[in-house]
Amino acid sequence: MDRKSIEKRLNDQKDLLSNLVKKAKTNGIDQVEIYSSYGYSEDVSLEKNDLNNCTATEENMFGIRVITEGNQGFIISNHIPSLYESIEEAYSLAKSQSTPDLDLGLPEPESIQNHFNQYDESLDKMGIEDLVASAKEALGWRNDLYSKVNIDSGDFSLSKGYKLIVSSKGVMAHELGAELSASVMGMGVDGDLVGSFDYDSASGFDKNQFQTLWKKAFMNFGDKCMGALYAKPISGFQGKVLLPPDAVYSFFLGLFIGSLNGTSLRKGKSKMADQLGKKVASSLLSIWDDPTNNGFMGSTGFDREGLPTSKKSVLTEGVLNTYFYNTYEAKKAGLPKSNGSATGGAQSLPGCGPKQLQIAPGNSAKDEFFKLPGKTLFVNRISGTKDGASGDFSGVIKGGYLLENGEKVPVREVQIVGNAFEALNQIEAISKEGELLGESSFVPYMLLDGFTITGVTEE
Amino acid sequence: MRNLLKECLAEESGFVELRYHHKESRSFFAERGRVESTALRKRTGVGVRVLEAGTWGFASTSEISKSSIQNAIQVAKKAARLSSALRKDKIPNLPKANFAIGDFIGKGIEDFRNRTVEEKLKLVLDIQNAAAKQSAKLQSVGCGYSEIYEEKAIVTTDGADSFFSMVRPEFRVSAVAKDDGKMESGSHSIGVTGGWDCLFRSQSPTEISDEACKTAVDLLSSSLPDGGLSTVILSPSIVGLLVHEAIGHTVEADFVLSGSVAQGKIGHRVGSDLVTLCDSGFSEYYEGAGGSIPVDDEGVIPTNTVIIKNGILSSYLHNRETAERFGVAPTGSARAWEYGDVPLIRMRNTFLMPGNSSLEEMIANTKDGYYLDGAKNGQADATGEFMFAVQKAYRIQNGKITDLLKGVTVSGLAFDVLQNVDMVSKEFKWDLGSGHCGKGQPAKVDAGGPYVRTKVLLGGK
Repeated sequence: MDRKSIEKRLNDQKDLLSNLVKKAKTNGIDQVEIYSSYGYSEDVSLEKNDLNNCTATEENMFGIRVITEGNQGFIISNHIPSLYESIEEAYSLAKSQSTPDLDLGLPEPESIQNHFNQYDESLDKMGIEDLVASAKEALGWRNDLYSKVNIDSGDFSLSKGYKLIVSSKGVMAHELGAELSASVMGMGVDGDLVGSFDYDSASGFDKNQFQTLWKKAFMNFGDKCMGALYAKPISGFQGKVLLPPDAVYSFFLGLFIGSLNGTSLRKGKSKMADQLGKKVASSLLSIWDDPTNNGFMGSTGFDREGLPTSKKSVLTEGVLNTYFYNTYEAKKAGLPKSNGSATGGAQSLPGCGPKQLQIAPGNSAKDEFFKLPGKTLFVNRISGTKDGASGDFSGVIKGGYLLENGEKVPVREVQIVGNAFEALNQIEAISKEGELLGESSFVPYMLLDGFTITGVTEE
Repeated sequence: MRNLLKECLAEESGFVELRYHHKESRSFFAERGRVESTALRKRTGVGVRVLEAGTWGFASTSEISKSSIQNAIQVAKKAARLSSALRKDKIPNLPKANFAIGDFIGKGIEDFRNRTVEEKLKLVLDIQNAAAKQSAKLQSVGCGYSEIYEEKAIVTTDGADSFFSMVRPEFRVSAVAKDDGKMESGSHSIGVTGGWDCLFRSQSPTEISDEACKTAVDLLSSSLPDGGLSTVILSPSIVGLLVHEAIGHTVEADFVLSGSVAQGKIGHRVGSDLVTLCDSGFSEYYEGAGGSIPVDDEGVIPTNTVIIKNGILSSYLHNRETAERFGVAPTGSARAWEYGDVPLIRMRNTFLMPGNSSLEEMIANTKDGYYLDGAKNGQADATGEFMFAVQKAYRIQNGKITDLLKGVTVSGLAFDVLQNVDMVSKEFKWDLGSGHCGKGQPAKVDAGGPYVRTKVLLGGK
């Protein structure tokens, strides 16, 4: 599958979907939206330090949304010959409802300013043979450099495809994309000793970018697995935690960003309601959303509703600047239109949220965090739970260290408990350095104070 | 469908496995007085797996035609050949298995087909409306009903030849309560393999809703427990999470081969005498367990696999490949989520067998501890270290339940926790049927058991 054949398929499908929407309108179904997601991928998987499986998959999914008199029906299908029947079925689902909301409607089209080309044609010269070669190289790194690391699973993928949205209101937008990606998961094993799981991943627009990022990610994975191998239990304490970018994003900030979702706000489930313009976090923290940067993976000119995306400030020195809205939630909030923050794809109704979150770097040198006096817990990853409404989170620390007097002691059986909204004000320092997570979101290291850390041994 | 698949295999000589899969997922959700979403998801296709030159190759197609399936077979073969030179540890021939032959039609399918969309919409709307009036502190109550209907046909060149179908309905309520700037949430859900009557057999929709709302409101006046190693009595839902997360994952044979903590421990003591742990493709004790399957995704009839017998590790969970490597019979544990997914070793219904105590005796015999109830999520590690999250923790002091505390994360080392089991109740309940297990791809599972007393690390203040 190459760019030319994907473009031909896309153009044929634009005509097909436009005709289906026209036919629906002719038959009295006024508001129809079809979101199409097409993907072709070749994959090579690893298991148990060996090659496991080679696969080739191709699928086109369609999300069909029909709105009639304030009611909505949604069908997801991968069957092209019966798409019109699916439109009728979505219409029937909408009509079966008895709780209309006339604020529910498809958006009017808007001009899209940013057009992305994230399909590098050099990938058309690659195939499953290249993925097998990458797998062989990674197994070589493991054998030569990390013989005590067991690769439980891994995946190398070359994927190509497009997304396309067509609606009866005149929305029509599409983007092509292609990428190379790889991930690895495993643990250190030394005799009877087994370390915690860890993983890492990388993706790139072209072969050279991918290879550079993947090698770095694999070495990082190997180091993390080895670092966790000789972990031991510690006693609990109250104090500082140091979060690397992954932990910052996945646990602590994720809850806060979720609370800015227009749906949570409308339903009274967000602690950030009525906080616009107010200081909700440490002055050290500034965040923005930028899906318009062509250098980031997954940047896009339009959202799940086919409306233009834009760069927007979320927090400036701790002051809240915006919430995230799709068309429906914007209308419910009394706004003239959405802010281009509809999330999701063919398999979901439009949600609300950011696309490419960026966190401003701070002034501290990351290395200084590792030399602090007293005890600091380095949280590599939290395996745990979080509650969106209260902001409470708790979990077991995986691959973590106790930093004490310049020493790094790998720990196990340690838990941390906290609250994401309170943690926003517990930030003591933010690093200058950071990582581009998923090659799309810049996140620095953060040092926070005032946490309860539970261990199993006595002081 | 079986005939079409067999036609596609007619001229094949090596090992080829064809898996037709049609899946329909319906979901209805109401919140704040209206139906918020009504969705139907339909996905159909054939997954093709070949074993050639000691290596797996896989391809899939959403077009259900002889030419398209045969083309996918060729793509899968090419993929296998390309990787064969690199693979060090060649896959041996697959062992004979107890293949399912014929049609296996699941219970409850007619029941769910006979109920209209309007009936299901009315259910979620009525329950939501009634629940929201229960307390002025309730900010929002969401009520959802969903069902997955699946049919599969599995045909292989070495003898599997079956068609099967099943339906899996679920019902869930989530509530958020607010008071004096504090916000808490509560949720309760059930899920079964079977019809509507099976779904609401032990709890009515109103009882489920009441439980979720009460949890959210009650938690507003709760605080964190003291953190540390504690004696705990686990409810069947928590026991289900424990045996699934703490033990089940470590005995999946692919994970064992990667070096999990269960490697080399067959025949060793890993739990107290009171611990007998099974994973079954059937619904033991009573019908409806959410992870039940009539046939696994390699076409094998699933077994009731005894993993731990009276504290001694006795079996891992196997697909055909690992069964050959370990020299045992496949346990029928190979499962794939969608037609485009390769089957992996997965749990089905994981349970601890009941003992002789009663819950009342267990509480009365606990001087200082916690009663944990309401399963949330959980994860396990290669080390045997697991965590699971609970909604509610009740303090037990001098043999009596006292304060409600916020549920937090509970963790421990799998085999240590089983060694510390000192009381097991007579009562038994499946209580994880609305859950999905993640392992690269989701899987419907269930788990449960009796009430169990042991020691775990409780996160807290």
